[in-house]
Order: sequence, then C-alpha cells, then structure tokens
Amino acid sequence: MSSKNPRERQMLESIYSMIAVVFILVTCVDLCDAATVVDVYRLIQYDISGVPFGSRFATLNHHAGSLHFAPGVDLSRTVLVIPVRELNITFVKEYISQRKPLGGLLFLLPQMFNFGNREAATEGKYQIREKELMKTVLAELERLLIHANIPYPVYFAFEDDDIDAVLADVKRSDVSGQPATATTGGYKLVVSAPEPKKIASPSITNIQGWLPGLKADGDPNQLPTIAIVASYDTFGTAPALSVGSDSNGSGVVALLELARLFSLLYSNPKTRGRYNLLFGLTSGGPYNYNGTHKWLRSFDQRQRESIDYAICLNSIGSWDNELWIHVSKPPENAFIKQIFEGFSTVAEELGFKVGLKHKKINISNPRVAWEHEQFSKLRVTAATLSELSAAPELLENTGGLSDSRHFINETAIVRSIKLVAESIARHVYGRQGKNIQIFADNTSLAVNAPYIRSWLDLLSKTPRVAPFLSKNDPFVTALKKELEDHTREVNAHHEVLDEMFTLYDSTKAKLNIYQVASVTFDLLLLLVLGSYLIILFTFLVITTRGLDDLISLFRRPPSRKVKTA
Amino acid sequence: MTLFHFFNCAILTFGPHAVYYSATPLSEYDTLGTSVKAALVYLGTALVKLVCLATFLKVSENDSFDPYQELLHAVIGFIDVAGLYFALTQLTHRNISQNHKFQAVGLGWAFADSVLHRLAPLWVGSRGLEFTWDYILQGLEANANLVLSISLAALGSLMWLRKNKPKTLIPIIYACAGIVATMPSITRFEYSFFISCVMPKGHLQPLPYVGGYQKSERLDTSYLGRGLGWHFPKVVGFELFTSLMMAFISWQLFSACQRSSS
Repeated sequence: MSSKNPRERQMLESIYSMIAVVFILVTCVDLCDAATVVDVYRLIQYDISGVPFGSRFATLNHHAGSLHFAPGVDLSRTVLVIPVRELNITFVKEYISQRKPLGGLLFLLPQMFNFGNREAATEGKYQIREKELMKTVLAELERLLIHANIPYPVYFAFEDDDIDAVLADVKRSDVSGQPATATTGGYKLVVSAPEPKKIASPSITNIQGWLPGLKADGDPNQLPTIAIVASYDTFGTAPALSVGSDSNGSGVVALLELARLFSLLYSNPKTRGRYNLLFGLTSGGPYNYNGTHKWLRSFDQRQRESIDYAICLNSIGSWDNELWIHVSKPPENAFIKQIFEGFSTVAEELGFKVGLKHKKINISNPRVAWEHEQFSKLRVTAATLSELSAAPELLENTGGLSDSRHFINETAIVRSIKLVAESIARHVYGRQGKNIQIFADNTSLAVNAPYIRSWLDLLSKTPRVAPFLSKNDPFVTALKKELEDHTREVNAHHEVLDEMFTLYDSTKAKLNIYQVASVTFDLLLLLVLGSYLIILFTFLVITTRGLDDLISLFRRPPSRKVKTA
Repeated sequence: MTLFHFFNCAILTFGPHAVYYSATPLSEYDTLGTSVKAALVYLGTALVKLVCLATFLKVSENDSFDPYQELLHAVIGFIDVAGLYFALTQLTHRNISQNHKFQAVGLGWAFADSVLHRLAPLWVGSRGLEFTWDYILQGLEANANLVLSISLAALGSLMWLRKNKPKTLIPIIYACAGIVATMPSITRFEYSFFISCVMPKGHLQPLPYVGGYQKSERLDTSYLGRGLGWHFPKVVGFELFTSLMMAFISWQLFSACQRSSS
C-alpha cells in the first residue's frame, strides 16, 4: 500500500500541474461577454483660454438608472439614461447648473439623426411637426451642454432594440422602488476609454482656387478679383456626430457648384470675364473665423487690394422666401448699395426677397460673428449671404446635432446658387440691371441639382470638427480634388488653430451593457449550494454506511482523546 | 463578485463528485486509482468519438432536422458503452468488491465528463460581469450526468461482471442499459428538434428569469455554448428526472441480482 501511494501522489501532482497550466492559458482569453455593445459618442471637451467646458471625463463604470428614480436617491454612482424624446430640459438644466453629483449621462437620440444608418435616416415615419419639435429640443440641449462644465462623462447613443429593452427594464425596476446598486443587481454600463488628452497643435486647412480672368493685351494692371468664400468645418455637442448639413454644408455645396458653373463660362476665352474669381474653402469657422484670418494674412497687400469684393456663404439651406446680406460697411456706401441692388434685382426676378443688415465691427473685440468681418478688418469689402437674420453667438449655429440632412431644403440651395451666380455674372460682364438670365434652366449652364444632392449627402455623413481633421484627411483631399477639377492654381494652406481654443480627443467609444446579479443573490446561492452538498453528504453516508457512521463522524475526536488518556 | 459566481458554479458542478467519494465507503477503500484510470479511459473514448464524428458526420448549412444524422450520433454514442466496458473489465483493479468497483468507475467517468465539457466554459464565461443562468443549469446537468454515469456503470457491471443472473431480469437489464447509453443523444435530439422547428435563427427570446432579452444566435451542436432561452432549463429538468428514474431502476435491478445470487 505504501509503495503505491507515492506513485499515485506523483500522478495526482502531475495532473494538478497540467490543470494549472490549462487555467493559465485560458485566462489569456479576452473576456468580452456583454449582452449588448453600443457605439457611443462623447460630449465635446474643450477649453477657451484655459476655462474648461464640456464633459471632463471619458471612463464610465456605473449602474444604469432612469428618470423614474425616487426623489432623494443618491445618484453619484448611477448613469442616467435619458431618451431625448422624453427629455425634460428643466431637469437637466437644474442638475447641471446646480452641479449635483451624478455618475454619468447617456442621451438616446432617435435613429432619424443617425447618418451612418441608411434605412433609418430615410424613413419618413416622423411627422414634420415632430421633427421640428425634436430639432428645437436638441438645439436647446446642445446650447446647455456646450456652455457647461460637467465633471462626469456625457455620452450620446442612438436608440435601437437592445438599448430600448435595457431602458424599459431599468424603468420597471426604478418604478418599483429598487434603485440599482451593487447589492440589488440591474445593469452596469461600462465604457473603457483612454484618458482624454489635449490635441496639440490642431491643424486647420484652407483650400483656395483661382479662375483667372481675361487680360487684355498690353494691359499692365492686375485684374480685379471677386472672392467667393465658405467655411467647411463644424463644431457641435458630439464631435463625432457634427455633420453640419446646413451650417455650413450648404455653403460648401453652393461654392462647389458656383466653381463648376463659372469654370464652364471661363473655359472659353470668348466668354471669360475681366475679373479673376477666387474660391476659398476655409476652416476654423466656429473659432471666430480663425482660418479665414490666417488665409487673408497669407496674401500680400497688392493681392488684397485687388479684391473688389468678397461674398461669404453661411447657412443657405433651409430658408423659405427671405435671405439676408450682412455687411459691416454702412449701407449708405455707394459700392455696398451697388452690390445690394444687384442682388435684390436678381432676387426679385427669382421670386424672393433679400434684406440688408448692417453690423459694426469692433476691432478690439476678438469675437468675429460673420466671416466677412475678417475681410473688413483688412479693409476688403465683403458681405455674408445667410438665412440667419441675426449674428450667431460664439459656438452657435456651427453645425451641431440638430443640424441634420432632414431639415435641408434643396431648392433653397439651388435658388441661393442662382442668386449668387447671376449677380456676380452680371457684375463681371457689366450687365447690371438688364433682364438677362445667364444660368437659365434647361441650358448647359443650369444649376445641377443631382450634383448638389450628392455633395450634400456626402457632407451630411462626414463629421468635420477641424482639430480632428488631420492634414491628409480624405475629406480635405476630396475637396481639394474637386476644386482642382473646376479651378486652377489650387493650394491647400495648413495652419495651426489659435491657442485660445483647445480641444480634447476621445470622441467615440463602445459602451458595454452588462446584466449583473446582486451580491445577495450570490450569497444566497452559496447558502443553497452548501446546504445541498451537506444534505447529499448525509444522504450518501446514511444509505451506504449507515446512520451510526454518520454519528461516529462527530464523535471521533473525543474517543481519540479518551484513548491517549 | 464574479469570481464568487464562478466559485458557486464550480462547487455545484464538481462538488457532488467529491462529496460522493468522501461520503461513501469508496474513500475508506482508497479507490482513487480506479477513478483516475476510468477518467483516462473516458478521455480516450472522447477522442475516438471525436474522430468518428469528424469522419462520418456532414456539417449541414441549415439547421434542419436530419434523422439520419441523429441516428449516426446515437450509434456513435455506443462507443461510450464500449469505453465503459473496457474500463470495467480490462483494467486491473485492486481487490475491491463489485459494489465499489462500478461506483468508482462511474465516478471517475462522470468527473472526466464534467471537467472536459464544463470546466472551460465555466472558467471563461462565468468570471465576466454579465450574469446568466447558463452555468447554474450546466452544474445541474453535471449532477444529472453523475447519477446517469453511475447507473450506467452499475448496469454495465451487471451485464459483464456478474456471471449468474436471473433469466427474467436479463432483457430488462439490457434495455435499461440501452436507454441510459442513448440518453445523451436523446437530449441532443430534443434540443436540435426544438432548434430547427421552433426557433428561427437570430430570434429574440424573452427570458422570464432575468427580465431582459437575449439574442439566440449561438447554436452549437455540442452541449456547450448554449444561449437559448427557456429550452435549456426544460432539457436540464428532463435530464435530472430521467437520471433519478434510471438510478432508481438500476438500484432495484442490482439489489434484485444481489438477492438472487446470495
């Protein structure tokens, strides 16, 4: 017997070591077993001159809660899941302004705003009124979140079946009075994102293209230039979702179409005008038109002086029958009058109104509300064509969540393009006041609606927050290539964004939703299993060895003591 | 507390084997060697079964219920019986009585089965944050399997090791052995039948226990990795019930043979 024991013991040991090795190997397997994994987009985090704004954290590891929580419950370790459809803006305002402790916020957006999902984006099951309501609610929410400093993570996600089911469950358990904590089970939301870091030297890229005019032989003077400018970048609550279809996707599309139309005219020397045309796609729009400022500084004095006037396009995609021209020179100025008359005549012919708005610029104030103000600061006559009647505030109307493809009216863009094209053409060819349609419908120079639609679709799917667009971003390259198709001498200038604005990365993450059991459940289970094993043990001892053996198990130690004594 | 859950499920899956060994006279007679040998024979049998399955079974693209494939599965299940025969008769056991021999062999067989089929999923799956009832049900299944293995070993020892049996009981013994041997195939059959007829792929099933939804997409043909909703508990319940029944029947047969021989 003793000779067998060491051999058996060796065998057992080898088996144990083999099992240990297997355990170690298996632990290397990644544990990714969440019931649901959802793409989430983080609220923007930025500093203006060192003052922090937005959500300051990215990692999330708390229980889910809904709006039906009992009053007075401690929410510092709960993530509130709020569908935007049922949003109560005063509640959110209260929470944020009073800086109440919260584990995190998760906003659920309707699928309508999901530009990545084809079928959802085009389904028309929402009434117009619902859409408009949603837009106003979202706009208000965005305004609130952008200007607040929030010390916990805030994420946006799109509604889908999984997350709806989770939310329904959470609501049910909240209503029944059981808040989700470590001891009562529920759902745990985990986002493991890296610590957000500042984006060092964010680059902004300005793209310009020229259509040179016809120089008369023997004329040493430089031709005058007319500039058409639009900024193409956006800024919104969720940078990964800021597609800015209207602000300023509509402007970009209009600029590209104008470039195409004028390139057709200028390709034939007989129809080439005596003006150079300069097309500029600028970046850094939301940041006081920083890009435009740097772009203009890159021109030398002579070139700047040769610019007759510049038209900046800003949000021309969702108006009905009134556009505005904003200027910084007083309206009594003869040149401004001439330009405005040209535009309003064409507008009348096309069947809508154009109004003139004057806003004085204050050179000491760093705030630049319109793009033309950057031109005016360098004494270049400029105006902005926009559907907005009042100047937007800082970081407002810069293409946030509420600015989606659904709210754009393509005919509005077409009419705006016609307006700008005819007005400029009449100025270039000296045909002001004459009733002549250069870009008439059903001609080779007609405005191409499918072209506009395809570019608008592309823009509505591309988030364009400038610091997140690298120098060789494919979208920037695509814009450059498109301009190269229509214009000559295309250049892309790379600049660094002003230090006043700092943005932080970590904009997209994956949210894991785990269904967890409470600690009490585990303890209960342990109790049940323990009693089961004890019962099994006693049952087996009684049936195989008899009741006496069972009793003797408990009597052995005392009997040994008696023996030794 | 997920390691806690793993610990709970582990003691549910492997505890009864240890308890059985220590509670019955097996521990007194030190029959560990027999159990270990039986476990090794089980490993060999599993390997042979794997090779046969790989050779003879076609992988069907759709989950339609194919009777011929199920029949083939049942036939291959008999390799189990052959393995048990080998373990009971061919291996050299120390001088232990009939009574304890089949228990030790059955215990080793069941332990190897649990370790092979249930340890890996348990280790990988139950340590995560996500809670499912799967692992508890798997543990219950392991218990049923233990009872079933011991009854199969009992019937096996009756068939091959006992020379004088009453004539009337012989067909019953063989019939019971046949049923117990095909038990895994029956539970598989019931399972795949449900899969093919009742559940379309990717269908969301309500899970009354946890009050949520679970995607029923993982449809393996083995015992492992099952994510279906309310069918798994049904199958486990069926297994437990039948194992207890078969244990009772084989106990009666064993004691009847014991009575007739003595």
